[in-house]
Amino acid sequence: MNKQVKKDVDIDAIERDVQGNILRSYSRHLVRHLMLEVTNVAAARRFLGVAANGGSEAVPAITPGSDWGKAKPPSNFNIGLTFEGLKALGVSRRTLQTFPVEFSQGMTKRAMKIGDFGDSAPDKWPAPFDTPEKVHIVASIHADEEGQLDKVEAQVAKAFTVLGVRDGRGLGRGKVFFGYKDSISQPRFKWVKDRTQATADEPLDPLGTILLGYPTSMEDMSFRVPYPDALGLNGSFNAFRILAQASYDYEIYLDEAADFLLKHKDVDLLLPPGAEKKVGKGLDRHAALREIVAAQMCGRWRNGTPYETSPDTMDPDPDVSPTNFDYSAQSRCPAGAHMRRANPRGGHIVQRIATYTRRLVRRGMSYGPDFDPDDFDRKNPDRRERGLLGNFLCANLGAQFEAVMCDWLNVGLQTPSITGTNDPLLGANTAETSRFDLTLPDNAGTISIYGFPRFVTARGGAYTFLPSLTAIRYLSEL
Amino acid sequence: MTNKDTWFNRYVNSLPTRGWFKLLSRYVVVPYWIWRDPKPKLPGGPRESPQPSENTQRMMNLIMPLKDPSPMGRAMAAMAIAQNVDEIFSGLDNVGTVHTARFLILGDNLCMISVYDGDFSNYIRDFIETIGSVFDAVISQIKGAEHMIPTCDHVEEFIEWVHDHDLFQAPDFPTDLFALQDAAKGLPTDGPAHEIMTLPRDLILQLHANPNLSLGGGYRSYPGYSAAQVRDKFGVGW
Ligand code: HEM
Repeated sequence: MNKQVKKDVDIDAIERDVQGNILRSYSRHLVRHLMLEVTNVAAARRFLGVAANGGSEAVPAITPGSDWGKAKPPSNFNIGLTFEGLKALGVSRRTLQTFPVEFSQGMTKRAMKIGDFGDSAPDKWPAPFDTPEKVHIVASIHADEEGQLDKVEAQVAKAFTVLGVRDGRGLGRGKVFFGYKDSISQPRFKWVKDRTQATADEPLDPLGTILLGYPTSMEDMSFRVPYPDALGLNGSFNAFRILAQASYDYEIYLDEAADFLLKHKDVDLLLPPGAEKKVGKGLDRHAALREIVAAQMCGRWRNGTPYETSPDTMDPDPDVSPTNFDYSAQSRCPAGAHMRRANPRGGHIVQRIATYTRRLVRRGMSYGPDFDPDDFDRKNPDRRERGLLGNFLCANLGAQFEAVMCDWLNVGLQTPSITGTNDPLLGANTAETSRFDLTLPDNAGTISIYGFPRFVTARGGAYTFLPSLTAIRYLSEL
Repeated sequence: MTNKDTWFNRYVNSLPTRGWFKLLSRYVVVPYWIWRDPKPKLPGGPRESPQPSENTQRMMNLIMPLKDPSPMGRAMAAMAIAQNVDEIFSGLDNVGTVHTARFLILGDNLCMISVYDGDFSNYIRDFIETIGSVFDAVISQIKGAEHMIPTCDHVEEFIEWVHDHDLFQAPDFPTDLFALQDAAKGLPTDGPAHEIMTLPRDLILQLHANPNLSLGGGYRSYPGYSAAQVRDKFGVGW
């Protein structure tokens, strides 16, 4: 076995070898994901060879992870390969066998485990995700202007068959649908400088949480690096997910929850009379309750302020740190909140040994038409498809992405009080069985709310391997 | 064939008890069907299901062939467990999702039978992380497992190996077997319905591929609460 746990790390060399967007985010306005089939192996290999060696007039360069400072290229180009894609490029059987089983089976075979059933089932996914065996590569172009996306797409289309395209964009002010500010918390890696996380006080994550070939957060445990090292080392895995968000239904549910709470006997404990002014500027009682529900469901107020350290107001004065807080038995942030399920931080959990081991890097942008939660037509439901083009990156899909999906976001094994319930924002809920417990101040117990549907449905996706630049060269020379 | 109580029907019904027929079945009929309609080995352990309540408690029936099934070899296996009792206790505590676990020496196998909460891979991975050295001691006594020592460096492979040696759990509703067999063969799940008549034959063929199995996923006398929920309710800390 190729146990490749390096003690001395030359981080600059690693960053030059790793694809961009893994260790640091691009922070661009636009993204275009191209789902590609390898139909001409020779052309595909030639393209990859040039792309990994700095590109040419006709072929975009793969963007490496190094910090390019002011010399920002007009667009960034990166690729992820599915297991079928590795096969199509001619990777040997022996090598294929060294990839982990969840990756070789592919996302659609893992559907039940990650909650893709009912309306989210892969057999309901639109093209090109209805033929997962043909989706060989997911190529992603990031840019600030549409023209750049078109230019690179045209170049790619000369070497591959483009099966489908998904365009995403930033919604402005860092927001995603449902109206939350996103991409505030991210893992912070040992040795890697990331300005956005400079003041975060979470423990540093070892490089093996995100790249293959380094120590992991599970003490002596190492993940298998696909063989040979030229292919496996400095690679990463990605769960690419197209997640439709029912924005209209989400706002309507917040209305209903606020109506329900207004009549609840304990409502004054949740929101003392007159305290609505404090929750946020210009809010009446109903509107304040809506925002409290939204904040507790996520773990942040929609403007990004952490609920844990600012449970009474979304505009604390003095300001609180967006990243530095922890959970405890007395937490105001509910154990069932999305963020706390996805990262329980240092708080006590059932699987003690798993504390800080299931970390995920999140890179995503929104797709679909605008929806303004502050100003929408309640009479004419706008249910056009919109949502998140999400990428969940990690060194091991089974130990990180799937583990979070199947035990924490859904089922809620980590805390007995939430076991048997799913994430309120994106769990596999049904209105008949869903439940979420709002916390009350001063350990005065909880108020349960019920009847929310599944707000997020899977509409496509793929497990991809994000090879290093060395690995892309290796693939081009097969 | 009618349902009338004729001598002929009585005779056909008595076939399974007649010696000549048993011989014919064992040496001709069953091998013929195994050749004609082979069934892939069905995967071990619980199947994924959408309902969290059904998902919480699960059974593992891990059957591991002893490297040396002689009394001496069995004693070695027994010692491997006995020497690690303290680690096993603390491991169960730290993993947090295990209700009970026990080891049996049965036939030429060492068996680990347990009830745990949630996902199988997470359970095994957390166990390796907590007390990998115990697994190492155990599998050093097992045929065809030595190459995975130390387990902490062969996590993925070891999880797959355990999955492979975990008994197939026959469905509680016998006719659900058809769908599992079709899925294992990669046939579409919405194909033509199977004749109920063929169930005994399909079961026999499956038992050829999976000679040992768990009948159902286990029965319990109370809803499937998690270990931590039980501990929490009784105030023993979780
Ligand atoms: C459409 C679907 C989703 C939406 C709208 C959503 C929204 C959010 C928001 C608003 C935050 C807080 C912002 C931040 O701390 O950066 C957050 C945090 C987070 N989400 Fe999601 N999310 C979605 C899907 C997922 C999925 C599928 C996963 C995991 C598999 C996930 C994992 C996380 C993690 C790990 C955090 C950071 C928590 C922390 O470090 O404290 N999210 N999400």
